[in-house]
Amino acid sequence: MARMKFLCDADRCIECNACVTACKNEHEVPWGINRRRVVTLNDGKPGERSVSMACMHCTDAPCAAVCPVNCFYTTADAVVLHSKDICIGCGYCFYACPFGAPQYPRVGNFGSRGKMDKCTYCSGGPEPDLSLAEYEKYGSNRLAEGKLPLCAEMCSTKALLAGDGEMIAEIYKQRVVKRGYGSGAWGWKTAYRETVAI
Amino acid sequence: MRQDQKDTKDQLGRRQFFRALGGGTVAAAVGVAATPMTATDAQAYDPGQDETKGRYRLTDHVKAFYRTNGYETLQNSSNAAGKK
Repeated sequence: MARMKFLCDADRCIECNACVTACKNEHEVPWGINRRRVVTLNDGKPGERSVSMACMHCTDAPCAAVCPVNCFYTTADAVVLHSKDICIGCGYCFYACPFGAPQYPRVGNFGSRGKMDKCTYCSGGPEPDLSLAEYEKYGSNRLAEGKLPLCAEMCSTKALLAGDGEMIAEIYKQRVVKRGYGSGAWGWKTAYRETVAI
Repeated sequence: MRQDQKDTKDQLGRRQFFRALGGGTVAAAVGVAATPMTATDAQAYDPGQDETKGRYRLTDHVKAFYRTNGYETLQNSSNAAGKK
């Protein structure tokens, strides 16, 4: 059985935020919630790196381990999903997640939170596939349509890979073999040669 | 009836009322304590087979994604999905 994974090639990511925009548009994510975001390290300095981050669909998900109502479940594709009907919006998963994936809509004044929202790997939720209820709660279900997450399909530099873990690992591995470790073919040393210290 | 007798009668009535109220409260508390807990243990969410089934399929759309992402490196690879 294929295991769905994300892999961001940091040497290719140009921080265009197309993945973020595509995700928000595809799932009609409400204001204040970003299921995916681009994190930039050493912004504006030589050696700058950007990585597109979302739920990494962990094998042993810490969010599921701390959830007091056990609303998480893992599908046969190794995608970590949750039920918004059961979630109580306690926020434990936010503190447990090392990637900051769980997000909460603000439903009132004084910081009151709503149901947790996170990346679903474009595979909906517990409601029937491609139903209106599923779309309203979790967004579109592209996996059921025979597609992959739109963030990866939208990536213009092919930095964000999604799909079967073995397949995207092979693609990344062969990229590294071809360009060498670091940024042999793309990146700072290509642009500035040896005059830049990364 | 004298006024003081009437007051006494009213006072006794009030006391009887509170006595009855107190007795009723005690009886209710005893009843609650004696009733076994009816709440069940918390149940973990148990998604059905249909919810956890695999939805990923190696469609032409997915093959095109793999092919376009690895076209520089996978074109000579025999295990590329696009070549299958």
